[in-house]
Amino acid sequence: MRPLDESETTQVFEKLFKFTGNNLKNIVESPSHEGPDQTPGRYCFRLHKNRVYYVSESLVKRATNIKRENLVALGTNIGKFTKSGKFHLTIQALNLLAANTKHKVWLKPTSEMSFLYGNDVVKGGLGRITDNINAYDGVVVFSMTDVPLGFGIAAKSTQDCRKMDPNGLVVIRQADTGEYLRNQEDL
Amino acid sequence: MGRKKQKQKVAQPPELPPDVPEDEVEVSDEDLEFVNKNQDYAGLVSRLDTQSITRHVNRVADAKQNDRSGDVKEDALESRYEKQLRKKSLATENVQHEVDAVDALPVKTLDGEVYYRSGNFLKICFLIGVIKSLTLKIFLMIFFCLVSKGPNQSKNGHIEDEIVGENEDVGRDNGVVKLTKAEKRVKQKKLRKEAKKQGKEVPEVEEVQQSSQAEVLAEVEEDLTVEEANAKKKYRLAEIGTSMLTDPEGNIKSLKEMLQICKDGDHDILILGLKSLLAVFKDIIPGNRIRLPTEKELAMVVSKDVKKTRFYESTLLTVYKAYLQKLMSLEKVFSFKRVAIRCICTLLEANPCFNFRDSLLKAVIKDISSPDDVTRKLCCNTIKSLFANEGKHGGEVTVEAVKLIAGLVKDHDCHLHPDSVEVFLSLSFDEDLRKPEAAKQDTKKIKKKFYKTGRRNMEIASEKKKNKQETLSKTREEVKADYMAASFAQDFDEKRRIQSDTLSSVFETYFRILKHTLQSGSEANESVTGPFGEHPLLAPCLNGIGKFSHLIDMDYMADLMKYLRKLAGGSTDDKTPSDSFSSHLTVTERLRCCIVAFKVMRNNLDALNVDLQDFFIQLYNLILEYRSGRDQGEILAEALKIMLCDDRQHDMQRAAAFIKRLASFSLCFGAAESMAALVTLKHLLQKNVKCRDLLENDSGGGSLSGSIAKYQPYASDPNLSGAFATVLWELSILSKHYHPSVATMASGISNLANANNQVFLANVSPQQAFIDMSLDKEKFTVKTAQKQSNSKRKRGSRPPLPLAAAGGADEVAVVDENVVRTKLSEHFSLVNEMEENEKLRRELDRTKLELQLHRQYKKQKKLKKQRTM
Repeated sequence: MRPLDESETTQVFEKLFKFTGNNLKNIVESPSHEGPDQTPGRYCFRLHKNRVYYVSESLVKRATNIKRENLVALGTNIGKFTKSGKFHLTIQALNLLAANTKHKVWLKPTSEMSFLYGNDVVKGGLGRITDNINAYDGVVVFSMTDVPLGFGIAAKSTQDCRKMDPNGLVVIRQADTGEYLRNQEDL
Repeated sequence: MGRKKQKQKVAQPPELPPDVPEDEVEVSDEDLEFVNKNQDYAGLVSRLDTQSITRHVNRVADAKQNDRSGDVKEDALESRYEKQLRKKSLATENVQHEVDAVDALPVKTLDGEVYYRSGNFLKICFLIGVIKSLTLKIFLMIFFCLVSKGPNQSKNGHIEDEIVGENEDVGRDNGVVKLTKAEKRVKQKKLRKEAKKQGKEVPEVEEVQQSSQAEVLAEVEEDLTVEEANAKKKYRLAEIGTSMLTDPEGNIKSLKEMLQICKDGDHDILILGLKSLLAVFKDIIPGNRIRLPTEKELAMVVSKDVKKTRFYESTLLTVYKAYLQKLMSLEKVFSFKRVAIRCICTLLEANPCFNFRDSLLKAVIKDISSPDDVTRKLCCNTIKSLFANEGKHGGEVTVEAVKLIAGLVKDHDCHLHPDSVEVFLSLSFDEDLRKPEAAKQDTKKIKKKFYKTGRRNMEIASEKKKNKQETLSKTREEVKADYMAASFAQDFDEKRRIQSDTLSSVFETYFRILKHTLQSGSEANESVTGPFGEHPLLAPCLNGIGKFSHLIDMDYMADLMKYLRKLAGGSTDDKTPSDSFSSHLTVTERLRCCIVAFKVMRNNLDALNVDLQDFFIQLYNLILEYRSGRDQGEILAEALKIMLCDDRQHDMQRAAAFIKRLASFSLCFGAAESMAALVTLKHLLQKNVKCRDLLENDSGGGSLSGSIAKYQPYASDPNLSGAFATVLWELSILSKHYHPSVATMASGISNLANANNQVFLANVSPQQAFIDMSLDKEKFTVKTAQKQSNSKRKRGSRPPLPLAAAGGADEVAVVDENVVRTKLSEHFSLVNEMEENEKLRRELDRTKLELQLHRQYKKQKKLKKQRTM
């Protein structure tokens, strides 16, 4: 377990920024009330076994007591660095993203299942979409009842979505909650 | 000047009449006494204009002397007056030669020329004097009455009769004054008839002057005072006008005369002339453009009728042109501006197709943002009616007008009066024109075929009679039919073209305004505020975009939304400039931006349900910035309705944040605003079942509250406010609101959690609630007596309500005030009575006591006496 180095930090923040925009500040600065301390601590990012964790400071202190080999995980896993050194967000980051995202897409109930099986979002399945999404922005996918289902990358801007045919791709899937069943061993 | 010499030749100086010795009139002592006694009444006599009176009196005396010397009866004076009246009205020529001996004194005219008073002239002078100075006449009558007493006692018995005669005369003149209009008209008509008999028109008479009659006529005319001449001109105008309307073709020539009258008349005559010409033109101008014949056409031999028509048209056109030039020149003069504009507007409105409409239109558009209210209203109404009655001119004028306005906005850098852009709102666009016209083309083809076949059949039937001419005419007909079909199609295309041109101009203007507002915002505060405020055109521009949003091309939509977002004060990317910018626009304007954005979205919402998050954030913050006096509550209510009530779904977080904010908002503003907020709140609660958790007693929404554990009232993003971590404690305070309906509403909402999940959607919109309550508030606050002054101040600073509503409210308030006043007066009178009662009773007691004391005293006295006895 170690803090991220500079290049890793920029990579992680760039990814997060795609989803949250200016709300990234909230992620970094939000106070944590974990632990017995009276003064609220902060959250920080830690790298452990190529995975990035979003952890409160008090938890980090306590985790130092455990041997590196024995430490399985701590805090919230938000992504991992691939073998080639790229950063990928994983499905566990969904809660963090959903609370702070700027761009949202709501799915019709009929197309929720298709998305949860790992498919992309097509225009026909779109229930609602936030205004002012540009192409390749990070988008969080919700059900119509405001339950976050996953996230992905916008294939088209909101304006272009209007003119598309119903089968056109709107969101390219990156992670969905179905992964908790499908890829249990990887998570 | 030659005429004047001539005239002096004719009017020979009359012989001097014998003077009346002044000492002949004696004033008795009694009269002096009478005057001194009744100083109040007779005082005015001393203040009389002695000069004029002596002139009249002298004249009368002179006449009397004359009559007496000629041994004529007393009535002769009257009859002579009558004769003169008749003569004058007939304007006969021999009046001039008959010189009264009376008029020995020369008179100075306005020109400074010295004349001998001829009878005719004197009479006219006298008449006008009477007309002009009614008051003077009354003085005269009083004077005469006073004088008539005097001579009665003096030996001169004749004078009385004469004075009575004079009085009668005055009385008759009075009658003339009362009848003036009718009588004068009759006179004018007679005069004109006379002129016509002579075969000359009045102005021409002056030039000709060949016969002696004409000379005299000219003289008479010269002698007429300015007013008389003006009156004459008025009647001339009226006469020409009527004759023009009855037979425009025949009397087209006299149009020129009317124009002439306009040119040389004074202020009033000019205005009258302009107006009557306007009425005539409005009636006789045809609905199409007149094309003057080319030289080639003029060279051709034509029939009499054609010639006549050509003459008519060319005269009409030249006079119309001259009239317009006159109007344009007068439009620059301040005192004539309104009249000229009115004329121009009416002309344009009545005949939008006639020649010179371009210059008319230019003149109207130029004044569309004039600081003068009347002028601006006129121009705007004209343009509006042009837009509304497009059928009259086929839309061409619309395009021109819209283009001109667009140019105007461009030239003035968007600093114009709001009205000038508001006229766009009355534009109407035909939806059907946008659809492809393939179907129509088919029917046309079929029709054409049908025509052709039908004709062929007929040809077969009439084969025997067929000759060359017939074939010729038939081919001609065919060509014509084809042309008709072609022209119709062109017409359709033309309409489409016109409409798209209009639309593009309109939106060009709108976008220019938006861009200008944006630029002036980003250039910091140094922008100069014009006479119409900082962004005068923004409000009508936003309204227009809202109205025509369904016609905006999808490609522009992105830009439009971007502009609106920036104007509303929230730009997603760069926070700092947006913050500095948002201070530029008022809260109302920013709310309007939000509303327009929602309208635009909704009108184009066929396929995609777009969530306007940025605008929600703006609204969320604007609610805090709202001040009830400064900003328009109407707009806020509308925004609440469109953004929160009409939208189909919301995020739970956002809905909760709005609910919380609206509840806090309704705590700090008047009844109307809180009612609007509460209605919205209820609506949101009914729609979002989960948000009813806010009504529960324990705070902390559990898993729903998300990552934010504590409510943050100052958060600018509704999603980050953590509203689920709090409760709606405001409702319990609101249920003790001073206004009963707000209180009931609040308690109703707090009971919502206990009710079953069945959704009763409120029928009342926030807007309606706001209007109702703002009416209600007036009543309510006035009724509570101690708050009276407070409510008055509020009413003064209140945002303008719809007129009818405000009027009604004021009435109610007035009525209430009256009621209060009467009640107060009743109360005070009652109190007064009671006080008086008490006073009386006290007095009564005192007197009773005194009496008792007196009695006791007497008793004691008696006792003492008895003792002493």
